[in-house]
Amino acid sequence: MRGRRPFQFKSIHTSIALAFSLLILGTTMLLSYSSYRQSASFVTNNSIDYTTALIEQVNANIRTYVSNMESISALALSNGDLQKFLSTARKTPENERLAARIEQFFHSIVVSRTDIATLLFAGSNGVVLTDRPDAAVKDYNELIVQDWYKQARASGGRVVLSSSHVEHLYPKEYRWVISLSRELSGDRPSDPSGVLLVDLNYNLINDLCRQIKLGSRGYVFIVDAYGDLIYHPQQQIMFTDLKSEDIPLILRSPDTTLNVKEDGEPKMYTIRSTDLGWKIVGVTYPKELAGDKTRMQLSSALWGGVCLVVALGLSVLLSFTMTRPLKKLDAHMKQVEKGNFDIRVDVTSTNEIGKLARTFNLMISKIKELMEQKLRDEEIKRSSEIKALQAQIQPHFLYNTLDSIIWMAETNKMAEVVDMTTALSRLFRSSIGQGEEEVPLAVELEHIGNYLTIQSMRYRNRFVHRIDVPPELRDCRILRVVLQPLVENAIYHGMKNKAETGTIVVSGRKAGDTLELIVADDGAGMPPERVRTMLSERGDRERGRGGVGVRNVHQRIRLYYGPQYGLEFHSEREEGTTVVLRVPFRRGGEET
Amino acid sequence: MRGKGRLFVLFAVLLLAAVGAFGAIRWAQAKWLASDGPIVYIPKTIDPGIEFWEVVRQGVDAAAAELGTDVRVFGADWEKDIDSQIRLALQAIELRPKAIVLSAADYERLVPVARKIRSAGIPLILIDSGINGRYAESLVATDNFEAGRKAGDALKEQLPDGGLVGVVSFIRASSPAIEREKGVLASLREDGRYETVPTVYSDGLPDKAYEATRALLREYPGLAGIAALNEPSTVGAARAIEEAGAAGRVKLIGFDSSTDEIDYLEREVLQAIVVQKPFNMGYLAIKTAMRAYRGQKVEPLISTGSAVITKQNMYGRENQKLLFPFLGSSEEGAD
Repeated sequence: MRGRRPFQFKSIHTSIALAFSLLILGTTMLLSYSSYRQSASFVTNNSIDYTTALIEQVNANIRTYVSNMESISALALSNGDLQKFLSTARKTPENERLAARIEQFFHSIVVSRTDIATLLFAGSNGVVLTDRPDAAVKDYNELIVQDWYKQARASGGRVVLSSSHVEHLYPKEYRWVISLSRELSGDRPSDPSGVLLVDLNYNLINDLCRQIKLGSRGYVFIVDAYGDLIYHPQQQIMFTDLKSEDIPLILRSPDTTLNVKEDGEPKMYTIRSTDLGWKIVGVTYPKELAGDKTRMQLSSALWGGVCLVVALGLSVLLSFTMTRPLKKLDAHMKQVEKGNFDIRVDVTSTNEIGKLARTFNLMISKIKELMEQKLRDEEIKRSSEIKALQAQIQPHFLYNTLDSIIWMAETNKMAEVVDMTTALSRLFRSSIGQGEEEVPLAVELEHIGNYLTIQSMRYRNRFVHRIDVPPELRDCRILRVVLQPLVENAIYHGMKNKAETGTIVVSGRKAGDTLELIVADDGAGMPPERVRTMLSERGDRERGRGGVGVRNVHQRIRLYYGPQYGLEFHSEREEGTTVVLRVPFRRGGEET
Repeated sequence: MRGKGRLFVLFAVLLLAAVGAFGAIRWAQAKWLASDGPIVYIPKTIDPGIEFWEVVRQGVDAAAAELGTDVRVFGADWEKDIDSQIRLALQAIELRPKAIVLSAADYERLVPVARKIRSAGIPLILIDSGINGRYAESLVATDNFEAGRKAGDALKEQLPDGGLVGVVSFIRASSPAIEREKGVLASLREDGRYETVPTVYSDGLPDKAYEATRALLREYPGLAGIAALNEPSTVGAARAIEEAGAAGRVKLIGFDSSTDEIDYLEREVLQAIVVQKPFNMGYLAIKTAMRAYRGQKVEPLISTGSAVITKQNMYGRENQKLLFPFLGSSEEGAD
């Protein structure tokens, strides 16, 4: 049974402790896990928000830089001097004056701003104007093959923004810049034209992006619309087998967050497009967040563990305190099982178990009361029965004796009447006693002596009797009026129908702890079936009144002393009957 | 009364257990989550004026940022201060770093230090220059023989019809010099049309290279090409060729990059330069150091490559990064 039902335990204590533990374990694990999950997703979302915010900031800064460049370029072109310069013939004083003015204008812009590296105008007429009137600029033919010039020419008046590159306009001067170039054309195609170049210090972009810290490993990079990297912290090794970014993916994806893998390690792109066609990408490593996650995992697991230990301890404690009164109750019940009703459970609590204990106490006292009641009742019943049995003997004997006295008186046998009446009187005196049930054997023997005297007178010369009990047994205690019915039985059934004079012998002996009193006759004897039924109710009915006394004696002895005592019959036809009466051997003064 | 006493003891035990567990958490956090030592990087010099080492440093920083590890830089102020480098390396051992990345200032004298690093159980990665003996997990450097070959190939391209070729080397016993020279000669000898004149040495000084080249030009008027094996040698040789009016006629292939070299390249005195990839060197050295620290297998020799740059391709996207490494405006702000 126990093996088949895993959740059935021997004690409530275990069940409660286990149930609590499982509940707490489950709850703790669930809570730890969900708090970990929540904080993990919180960390992730937070990092995405943070990355996005930083990228927006980069975006805003870059837009500012580029719009500054655009406004400078617009300013230079709308100023009118450049147009006039282009339309005047070269080498004229007017042309020279305009050139000087424009260069002065360029110079003032560049020196006043840290973000602008260079301002340069390359006219189609072969004239190059720069912000450095005194510096030697590279040859016109070398300049017009450079990308910024060619692309501006190709786009016809629209602003062209380059990727990051090395500016090589002046000999031995190589700066990293981002170029904005724009063609200036005349009204007619044949009019002289030119390209204005505004170079932005790449430093600005570099510093801006470098400052961005996305965790300890994350970074920001910028890619232009053609997939060229404008900024990348590992620009040097990009597009080698050492390092790569998934540029095509970035170019075709909208502003979003993408999960990609690099050398099997996951990383996260947060992409934002700028209105320049560039894309700013924040790269974060989920593993780094996972570092935090590991920390969180560890601490939530450990704190969960602590809570668990405390909770388990509490649950054991609680179940212990809860079941302790039950155990106490159980122990008391065991005592009751053993028959000890003199106990009480100490209860102070008022809860269910307290009530149970109180009910238990009540029940025990009630049981005790009932048992005492029962013992008393039994006692009363027994003694009343004995009294009734004793009472049964007398009227019947009295009637016969009185009959005999009447008969003797009628025949004037006065002396015999006196003897018989005296014996009867003694008999009654001894049988009335003091209401006690037990008497010394001597009293009983005297009683039987009187009885035999009366009976021998009634059945004149039919039998002789002898009482042969050793004097040392005479103070033994014995129930009253037990021998008389046996003698009576011997007379009525043994002697009455016997032709010659019979003998009745009452003897006694001590056999171990038992006192044996024997009533033996040499009368007619009894058939074996009679002997068998002598002590039973059935036999009683068959015999009519005759055996009532003998059976009474047997029952009384057994009631009083116990079932191992009582009568035993031995009888043989024409040989006689011997009745052995057994009672416990107890001398006078010994209490029952 | 007894029950209450027991309850109290139980609570006390639980409280103790909670305190103990709290301590265990702190301890575990400290033990498992704290990062251990840094990687120590010891270049030949920390002189910010030397672009090569600055770019190596950028590679180191990039890899450190990518791997999320701390890198500490110990370096002497000038390249030939071997004693300082030995002292710094010994100090580095005391730090119990994850690994040491060292560019040996001397082929022989750093050997005892390397032995000590090894016996301390610290992975040693050599960068750019090796030492005598196998003490390092890996050497991360330019394959100088291969770079020499590239210079030889570039020379052959400039001289399709063959001709007499000279080599301006730098230090006679230096292993990079020997390797590069071997590479150049190996390339030239593949083709029977090229003859070589005895190699001259600049001792790493432009003036000496200038003198040596002038002597070569005088001695061998038919000289068609020169390979100069390091930066000062290249600059000196270019000056001599330009002054001799031989620019374009005598083809010059140089090594490494500098503003002077680029200027010569743009003015076509110099036809091509073979450049190393110092960023890669620093980057790969740190990555290799980390691999060695983690007990992963590392290659004993890692070549970081080289590139041939001509006037035509110098402003290409990749080449301009090699030629004009962006060092930024606020180096002091960078860590």
